[in-house]
Amino acid sequence: MNEATRPEGWSGETYHGRPVTKASSFDWKVSAYIALLGMAGSAQVIAAVARRAGGRRARGLVRRARLVALAGSVVGPLVLIQHLKTPSRWYNMLRIVRPTSPMSLGSWLLTAFGGLSALTALGALFGHRSRLARRVADAAQLPAAAAGAGMSVYTASLLSATSTPLWAAAPGPLAAQFGAASMAGAASALALAQRRAGEVGSARRLERLAALAAAGELAASLLAERRWREAGVGHAAQRGRAAPLLQGAKAGGMALPLLAHAVSGRRSGLLPELASLALILGGAALRHGVLQAGNESACRPEDAFRHADPRRRR
Amino acid sequence: MEGGLAHRRALDYADRDPRGPIPQEAEITTGRRVEPGRAYGFFTDTTLCIGCKACEVACKEWNQLPADHLGLTGHSYDNTGHLGAHTWRHVTFNEKIGKDGRRATTMPPYQSHWLMMSDVCKHCDPAPCLEACPTGALFRTEFESVVVQQDICNGCGYCVPACPFGVVELSVEDGKAHKCTLCYDRLKGGLEPACAKSCPTDSIRFGPVEELLEGAKARVARLHAQGQPAAYLYGAPGTPRATGGIGRLNAFFLLIERPEAYNLPPAPSRPAPRALPSILSGLAAVAGLAAAALLIGVGRR
Repeated sequence: MNEATRPEGWSGETYHGRPVTKASSFDWKVSAYIALLGMAGSAQVIAAVARRAGGRRARGLVRRARLVALAGSVVGPLVLIQHLKTPSRWYNMLRIVRPTSPMSLGSWLLTAFGGLSALTALGALFGHRSRLARRVADAAQLPAAAAGAGMSVYTASLLSATSTPLWAAAPGPLAAQFGAASMAGAASALALAQRRAGEVGSARRLERLAALAAAGELAASLLAERRWREAGVGHAAQRGRAAPLLQGAKAGGMALPLLAHAVSGRRSGLLPELASLALILGGAALRHGVLQAGNESACRPEDAFRHADPRRRR
Repeated sequence: MEGGLAHRRALDYADRDPRGPIPQEAEITTGRRVEPGRAYGFFTDTTLCIGCKACEVACKEWNQLPADHLGLTGHSYDNTGHLGAHTWRHVTFNEKIGKDGRRATTMPPYQSHWLMMSDVCKHCDPAPCLEACPTGALFRTEFESVVVQQDICNGCGYCVPACPFGVVELSVEDGKAHKCTLCYDRLKGGLEPACAKSCPTDSIRFGPVEELLEGAKARVARLHAQGQPAAYLYGAPGTPRATGGIGRLNAFFLLIERPEAYNLPPAPSRPAPRALPSILSGLAAVAGLAAAALLIGVGRR
């Protein structure tokens, strides 16, 4: 009865151009957290792989990766708590487990990741003189890597599980993008550390991994853009305030460093280090750009209406 | 009529202190008792709304909500603008006085050329804000309404983008999320919500959702018979397209234009199911890169 009489066809009319949905309060603190914990999470994945592939020869890399993870899981939560509007109640995040809420599951994941990273850090800090510390760290390495993989991508799921058109339109590509950016960031940070430590061969392998991750990041970005176009919600990312940042991240933070790693080959020197730095910053810029563009799309009624149009829904 | 205009139940309390509440006063004002365990909500019939904003005022007064965004918007008579932390009822005004640049010369029945609607939290079931809340501050009450517990909310703000209707908002005053409570305190005391009680045309009707739905369907049929064929229900239980992936809205509406004209999304979806496919594709990407790292031999010198 009701369906039959509902007027068909939206002519593009909005209510005085007013927003339908509300933008999140996620600002630079959240994007910093996403980039930081993504890097820390992927560092644990790299530590687990290096431990397996390199054995004792990977000691230096594993130690540095574990320290990166520890630093991230100490600083990240502090930044995140500052983003709360009532920070003194941060512990209410651990009051319940809400399976439908990526924010709730993410809080528990962060807690687990922090604990596991503390255990692996035991090996990094005291491994040279305590066999117990080494054993505990090695036992915690695989779970830490699993939690780290989750840390690298869950933030994208958190964004997609909202009514913000830009984030909701591309759940898969966004998570792939965030995961690849995390991996590129971690590999690049560790490549820099390995070069400083004089382990150039190890650094080259990490740079190859970072280049591969950057290619994945770029591919996922293009896929996300296609989804946005299809859903008609891409305006904020293409022409909005965050557009220069997103374009810059793609060119200067993904494509150029990818090219630099490809041409630098066996040469050492400034170029690979600059490329690593660009990949780290590019990943952070990408995440910040996605946050900003999402917040802008939430304020665009056209985007909200198109997102809530069943004929456009995939 | 015995007792003049007063409800006969009111006469039972004639000797009471008039300042005190009458038990189950809702029975007098709506004909229905308010009992825990039943789903209560609003049926907002926009064809009856006259845009008086009594609901906005009653809501602000009862819930002691501060005034906000003072000033003129230039959007017809709507200077309230939107629902928010301190605005839990919002009357929208949409002047449709002509088409294609020409003044209308005929008057269809009901809200002829002005569309007015009192917007409110839909108390969705399932509710995206509640599903997003990591602290359990948002919960479903014994009246099936959705309420933020102010002593638990830590202002993470995740419920704000989760809401497909842009209802819930963080207050800059206290750093907590706020929205309509369906007058939880009044329901506990057997009173109907302030907005519904104050509505002079009964455009806002409060009651058990099932009964409201029956009345709403009858109202649609009556309007069709009276020459307003555009009337339809938005967000009513059992009309799947109007609620997208959300089962039902405990506050639903009778509209005579497309939802967009009232700033309502045509078919809002439930955000939570998007998390799983997202995390799986993300983990696949990371696993692929981890496998690549093994092949590259990360860790070897």
